[in-house]
Amino acid sequence: MAEVRFAGYGGQGIIRSGIIAGKAAAIYDNKYATMSQSFGPEARGGACSSQLVVSESKVLYPYVTDVDVLFAMSQEGYDKFEPGLSENGILLVDEDMVKHKSPRGNIKVYSIPATRFAEELGRKIVANVIMLGFFTAITEIVTYEGMKKALPGSVPEKALELNMTAFDRGFEYGKELLKKKNG
Amino acid sequence: MKADQRDVLTGVYYIDGDVASGYGALAAGCKFIAGYPITPSTEAAEAFARIAPKGGAMFIQMEDELASISAIVGAAWAGAKTMTITSGPGYSLMMETIGYGAMLETPFVLLNIQRGGPSTGVPTKTGQADMMQARWGSHGDYELIAIAPDSPQELFDHTIKAFNLAEKYRCPVMIMADECVGHMTEKVVIPRAEEIELEPRRWYTGPPDEYIPFKPDEDLVPKMVKAGSGHKLFISGRLHDERGYPVDNEHFELKYVRRLIDKIMCNKDKIIELKEEQLDDADVVVVSYGISSRVAVRGIEMAREKGIKVGNLRLITVWPFPDERITELAKKVKAFVVPEINYGQVVFDVARCCHGNANVVLVPHGGAGVHMPDDICDAILLGAKEERKIEKVIEFKTQLEKLVFKGGSKLKE
Amino acid sequence: MITTFAKGLEKAGVKPNQVCVPSDILFEPAIVKHFGFDYFHTTRGRAIAFGTGLKLANPALKVVPFTGDLMTVGGNHFVHGSRRNMELTVICINNFVYRKIAGKAVSIETPKFSPYSTFEEPFNIPHLGNSCGAIYTARWTALHTEELADSIAEALNKKGLSIIEILAPGPDYYTSISNVNADLVRFYYDNSEIRNDEDPRNVGITPENKIIVGKFTSKERSTFIDSYNAQLGNVLGEKFTPYGIESGKKGAGGKNG
Repeated sequence: MAEVRFAGYGGQGIIRSGIIAGKAAAIYDNKYATMSQSFGPEARGGACSSQLVVSESKVLYPYVTDVDVLFAMSQEGYDKFEPGLSENGILLVDEDMVKHKSPRGNIKVYSIPATRFAEELGRKIVANVIMLGFFTAITEIVTYEGMKKALPGSVPEKALELNMTAFDRGFEYGKELLKKKNG
Repeated sequence: MKADQRDVLTGVYYIDGDVASGYGALAAGCKFIAGYPITPSTEAAEAFARIAPKGGAMFIQMEDELASISAIVGAAWAGAKTMTITSGPGYSLMMETIGYGAMLETPFVLLNIQRGGPSTGVPTKTGQADMMQARWGSHGDYELIAIAPDSPQELFDHTIKAFNLAEKYRCPVMIMADECVGHMTEKVVIPRAEEIELEPRRWYTGPPDEYIPFKPDEDLVPKMVKAGSGHKLFISGRLHDERGYPVDNEHFELKYVRRLIDKIMCNKDKIIELKEEQLDDADVVVVSYGISSRVAVRGIEMAREKGIKVGNLRLITVWPFPDERITELAKKVKAFVVPEINYGQVVFDVARCCHGNANVVLVPHGGAGVHMPDDICDAILLGAKEERKIEKVIEFKTQLEKLVFKGGSKLKE
Repeated sequence: MITTFAKGLEKAGVKPNQVCVPSDILFEPAIVKHFGFDYFHTTRGRAIAFGTGLKLANPALKVVPFTGDLMTVGGNHFVHGSRRNMELTVICINNFVYRKIAGKAVSIETPKFSPYSTFEEPFNIPHLGNSCGAIYTARWTALHTEELADSIAEALNKKGLSIIEILAPGPDYYTSISNVNADLVRFYYDNSEIRNDEDPRNVGITPENKIIVGKFTSKERSTFIDSYNAQLGNVLGEKFTPYGIESGKKGAGGKNG
């Protein structure tokens, strides 16, 4: 079982990221995936988050309790949800948006200049999809194939190609980074 | 009768429970929803409103909840399958007309995505504190049916089930979901139309002049006609005889109101759906519904790992209540454990049916969150350990309560 | 009054079996059977809301909400029904005093006619309806039988929400005409003045002046269903199934009968 927290601010596609990853896991990877999003006062303005539980069997408790992966795209999101990250968890950050502290326990940190990459691709809005590619490469909670199948229908049709490219950009960057760390 | 394929969005989706319920209503042949937006049920209305116009169905945003439920009762009498959608304060506003619908024996579905209460409460978070309101909320005696789904898939399936029950028993049917399930996104499989069985309306087909609107069939449910088809209908929320004409003596009260109750209670066996697991040798039985029943399964697994013989009784139908089944189990088990997201509602019906034969442990939880499985596990251990018969419902103290009240509420000590 | 209503139906060429009367006033079953329409005794004040459901589920129906609690409990439904221009012929029985609970003030009550007098201003119902978008407004006393029947006939053939205010003493007038009632309705009649086409702003009922009756306004405006079809047809194009076309055969309630 894996628990993922997606955090950022409104407009970054944080909820959408949770849905795409959940859809890949539940429909294309044949796992169970439950996604819940924060609504109401806490979801307005600043911090915006969604949570995803991916499991081999039916998800019984729908919320995250000891987060395995924190997917942070804003400083506020990082500050708010970092304490909930497991001591053995993985922290993924958009380094253009988040300045993180030195990690606690055995937490592993992986950074990607997602927003800068998105700007290079011409659309800042795809930063979350770059992060999703990065997330897929690093955590392997969802498969590359599953994610590529989940993207159509989850992003505007006109922007599908751009999103596919963005996803690959993040994915490749993640794979390279892993190679460097492990090699 | 099979579903119309134009209404069924066959496919595999990753959607939230609210949206699944909207799709379920369409698949069930619902052609008219009147509602007024309120968190956390809005997405269900939105989903229906988005798709309905393509299939000749209509969503109308009324001026308030009173208008919404009045409109769907009217639409039902004009021949449509109808539903309204609400939460929290909106549900309270609908109470009068729920009783009116029951009195007129109107088939309709009400989706209540429960939120934290009371009053405005916590609109964006979950609750299960409307369960008794569903049962007793409107004035006077009547019976209705309430079901409690625990996943987006069930919100799709149970919405169809609710329509079928409403048509079969000509009564309001409540889908008592909660915010957690309504706002939870999971895989939902929508089958092909030919795999969806629908209950047709109980139409009267005889000569118009011989139609008696409230003359029951053998199963105590009368037949219906469409307004405007020449039956000279006289339909009133006032106590009436079989013709629908106002009466006010106690014989009629006995005859008519009694039948409103009996048509549900005498058909209980056909209405009630329970999910039972490992009850054969159980010492403790967890009785739960909605999202709590899902979290409870984790608590049950944990207790079993500790060697406790614990079974699971999930109330898919909450009202009418499975009195007989609880009474029967009470003779065999040591305790029932009832987790609910309120401070004790359905638990008292469990206690009522025990007749003192088993202990009853309530695992309360305030709105805005769901139980921790550890609490349910610990409550099961408590139920298994207690050898004495305790006359009142035992209130388990959750970790959250201990944290907030530092060892328990003063009122309770 | 029901006889006048029946006459109105006849003049309009509407068959009673197409007519549904949602009402918060309890009718006599014998009357309903005699005239042959479908009658729904609703919860108080909800006749328009209930009627909206009837109409939308089967647009072929002629829906005539008869209301007593129109402006109190049902005020908001009237305002929104008028705004939407829902096809309803609303008949408001303005009895000034709700006789079953003698002397209890309702919001359309005027001081002169209340046993203990009240100090509240009444609603000017035709003006309110007109400003909210109702396409037909009229007021008559129960004794203006010919004029009333004509108004009902005219309103039934209008497309949209019509409001006809009837000054009549008490909901059970048509079942048991007591002397008091007969005197009172005669009083209304004698103190009325017909002013057709009067600006509805000028027809408020005051104790000092004559009661202005007449057919005040009649205009054309797109109905709820027409606007709905136009808007959704625009946005959805081919994907949209127009609602309630062909005498309502495509309404949510399915074909009639």
